[in-house]
Amino acid sequence: MGPRSPLLSGEKARARGHPGALTRRANRTIVYALVALVALWLVGPFVWLFVTSVSYQRNLLARPLAFIPPEVTFDNYRMVLGMVRFHAEGQAAKILPSMLNSLIVAAAVTLVNLVIGTTAGYAYARFRVPLKTLSLFALLFTRMLPTVVLIPAYFLLFKALGLQNTLAGLVLAYCSFTLPFTVWIMKAYFETIPADLDKSALVDGCNRLQAYYRVVLPVSGPGLVAGGAFTFMLCWNEFIVAQVLNTKLGTTTLPPVIAGMNAQINIDYSVIAASGFLAALPAVILVLLFQKYMVQGLTAGSVKG
Amino acid sequence: MASAPPERVASPVLVPIVAVRRARLSERWFASLLILPAFLAIFLVIVFPLLYSLWMSFADVNLLRATGPALEVFGLRVPLFRYVGVQNYARLFADPLYWDSFWRTAYFVAAFVTETTVVGLGTALVLQERFAGRPLMRSLLLIPWSLSRVVVGLLWIGILDVEFGALNGLLYKLGLVDSYVSFFKHGFSALNVLVSVYMWNQAPFATLLFLAGMQSIPVELYMAAEADGAGYWQRFRYVTFPALRGILFLVLVVSTVNGFLMLDLIYILTMGGPGNETTTISWLGFQTAFQFFKFGPGTAILYTLTALCLILTVVYHKLVFRKLEAEQA
Repeated sequence: MGPRSPLLSGEKARARGHPGALTRRANRTIVYALVALVALWLVGPFVWLFVTSVSYQRNLLARPLAFIPPEVTFDNYRMVLGMVRFHAEGQAAKILPSMLNSLIVAAAVTLVNLVIGTTAGYAYARFRVPLKTLSLFALLFTRMLPTVVLIPAYFLLFKALGLQNTLAGLVLAYCSFTLPFTVWIMKAYFETIPADLDKSALVDGCNRLQAYYRVVLPVSGPGLVAGGAFTFMLCWNEFIVAQVLNTKLGTTTLPPVIAGMNAQINIDYSVIAASGFLAALPAVILVLLFQKYMVQGLTAGSVKG
Repeated sequence: MASAPPERVASPVLVPIVAVRRARLSERWFASLLILPAFLAIFLVIVFPLLYSLWMSFADVNLLRATGPALEVFGLRVPLFRYVGVQNYARLFADPLYWDSFWRTAYFVAAFVTETTVVGLGTALVLQERFAGRPLMRSLLLIPWSLSRVVVGLLWIGILDVEFGALNGLLYKLGLVDSYVSFFKHGFSALNVLVSVYMWNQAPFATLLFLAGMQSIPVELYMAAEADGAGYWQRFRYVTFPALRGILFLVLVVSTVNGFLMLDLIYILTMGGPGNETTTISWLGFQTAFQFFKFGPGTAILYTLTALCLILTVVYHKLVFRKLEAEQA
């Protein structure tokens, strides 16, 4: 034991650090070494993706490998964005349109989720809903369902409805794995808002619907941001459903296009890395921007019932 | 009805009761109305397709034949195909490839759950320490988790590739290998790479849950433990770990489900190969349905996976609701 008082006051313990922390000064070195290791583990691979995307393939193939690129180039990004001609420009030309498709689909699904998922979450948090336990269990099951089992059905149903190779079809399919999550996250969020707020709104002469959208919704920003950002992220990143359902040129989203480039042997890895980095950027920025709310919403949504 | 509805009885005693009853009824109606759109949507995009897929798993699905039995609703023609009973399932359970994939999936899930829990908890313990830049580190935590699995696959190709992988570059530079290693050449190695890459993507979420759990442990417990002369490991063993038991169980269940469902990384990294040596149940089902276009056997395989998920949901449900009751008590 180090030379310190056996019992610290609560104030002092709080100021000194966090519960369960290593305390001795010599341990600081160990802590910083471990933190550095964790940082390398978390962002090292992503940073390397960026490094390869601004490198020439010949430098990546060189042995020994230079971890600081000897030449930096944005040619890969120019190729991906169609600013220079190269042998696989046909593949690269799909990137920007598919990015737009991704954006449209993700935004539409987020909107649908925020409107109908939030409303249902509110009802679960506040009222006695018919078959509450059963429907909550069903919701939980749909949350843990393998989406891929639904795709054969979508394939045939969308064919009958003329929704194959359309963005509307993808929006419908994506609601299957986002809506149960949104209801759950929003239910957990509304449970943190005191029910007295709604009651006082009712006393002030609002009807139930007005109490919801005039009083409760305006103070639910953090929950809406958490649910919305999470939905957008899931849709932006989705691969398998889009890959199977939207095969016609120009109808698919970004992940299948990048996977398609990856499957072609005549495209340099550095070019694929550039497209991968562009695909990753929006989701990463979104999550970093709203991380505080997302962490709160997601932990509440998975821990609480 | 002979008797008048109770609302019309203007008895001074009954009025408040009726008012209360009315309020309750309207509350029920209002709640049902709020839930209706979501449930309609869930029925249309989940329940109905789920039942249709279930039907296909009992049918001889021929995608080229347009005629045959069909379900006609609102002018739409949904083909029903020929009912063949449990034939798809019987063939499946007699197929050694299915059982190979089944046991491979079991290994994959066990390894994935172990790695995710250990790394997730270890990372949480490190991030729980006091150090400069702690908020920044907590933000970085979300990066692997926010990436599309297509990008996750891509960036690990950049690290593991046999021609330009950074890890190979590093091992070569340090003199640990004479030539670049092909991590995907052998089945078992490729399977373990898949486990670790998926863990890199998923463990941060486990860390988030563990950190949330750690923050709710009262400081007084640690102070008492310190007063009793408990060292770091003893504090972990007797204070931190017992308090995290609920979260730990949650992480185990969630990562088990995620392990069973993993599909996109296999598509990007191995396509189930070499041979069938990284073929899990979900990949086998995907391949059968969408590469060979055999929807009957494909949906049967995927339904065995769905059944497993249903069992795990029951476990999760028990956990969550028991906890809820404990909180309310």
